[in-house]
Amino acid sequence: MAIKKEHEVIIIGAGPTALTAAIYTTREDIETLLFERGAIGGLAAVTDHIDNYPGFADGVDGLVLADQMRKQAERFGAVIELGEVTKIDAGKSSVKLETTSGDVTAKALLIATGSDYKKVGVPGEKEFFARGVHYCATCDGAFYRDKRLVVVGGGNSAVQEAVFLTRFASHIDLLVRGDHFRASDVLQEELKKHAGKITVHLNTTTDEIVGEDNKVVKVIGTDKLMGKKVDFPTDGVFVFVGLMPNTQFLKDSGIELDEIGFIKTDDNLMTKLKGVFAAGDVRHGATMQIASATGEGATVALRIREYIEGHKVINE
Amino acid sequence: MVKNITIFTTNTCAYCVMVKKYLANKGFGYEEVNLDTYPERQEEAQSLSGVLTVPVTVVTKDDDSKEVIVGFNLSRLVPAVS
Repeated sequence: MAIKKEHEVIIIGAGPTALTAAIYTTREDIETLLFERGAIGGLAAVTDHIDNYPGFADGVDGLVLADQMRKQAERFGAVIELGEVTKIDAGKSSVKLETTSGDVTAKALLIATGSDYKKVGVPGEKEFFARGVHYCATCDGAFYRDKRLVVVGGGNSAVQEAVFLTRFASHIDLLVRGDHFRASDVLQEELKKHAGKITVHLNTTTDEIVGEDNKVVKVIGTDKLMGKKVDFPTDGVFVFVGLMPNTQFLKDSGIELDEIGFIKTDDNLMTKLKGVFAAGDVRHGATMQIASATGEGATVALRIREYIEGHKVINE
Repeated sequence: MVKNITIFTTNTCAYCVMVKKYLANKGFGYEEVNLDTYPERQEEAQSLSGVLTVPVTVVTKDDDSKEVIVGFNLSRLVPAVS
């Protein structure tokens, strides 16, 4: 069924920020359409287990949390269109969008496209993408039953996903560029429980991913303390070295981005374009936490309501 | 016309959920092969797709030609089932 052309609020993305904002707008009877090109729930949905989101004493699986948020938003009337926004054009009274589902307009637009895992940027990474180099453990880990893996990164995602991958892998080498983990103490304690399967290599850079016969066979790294190259034989590599914002489609939109590509907003979470808001992981200054994302979703929904109702002059 | 659709999935794959949701919304039935349940069919998924990832969606047309779509890729999935 074709979607209608004119909307009160359009949200690009359907992660925790977007779904929370949609819960708030639709509960205020503000008609809201969301566009999602990937997974509903965003990175939260591809996270195996989430232990730091309030309200779940024993933690919650990412897929379950994402599905509950979706159901809650849909219960109040939010509509999620599986499609992609390709162009934004902010006018005086509305925002026009070109999408894979046709052209649409909205009184206000929220960009909540979140972020995605960064590439490590070494030879072999691109060549073996999805054929030995991966960025989603919950998607691709099952292909490595009883095989050796390398996990790259020292933050929360790297440690959490390395622990998840012990379900499948016979052994994991965890390569950490720095001299310590950035992951939380709780996750580091969890990591210690898997010391039999995970070997940690601090001060170790990832320099090259090497394959033979169309398969990954090893990672070449550098032990920075010893100043020498080290080979890590492996069947696959999972990379978790930080996040990059999903803002490539905003190039030439007039929206101000920082040097990395995160969206700059004012105190009301509005961008340089009138009626165009941004919140969550895609926003400059975001803390990349699900709890923060949902909080920003609620805040931006209230700002959007004020903007639409014209009760308060914003950004003028 | 679409004759049948097979989706290779795993229990924890969020993009698999999206493919199933999209096809269900459009009224398409499909056979799901969960590789956590049937790990012996992993090589089949890999040989069809050429990659080590799920979802892998195989759309078989009336003339028995097959289209293989890796991931939740709407730009390929939509025309494949149209």
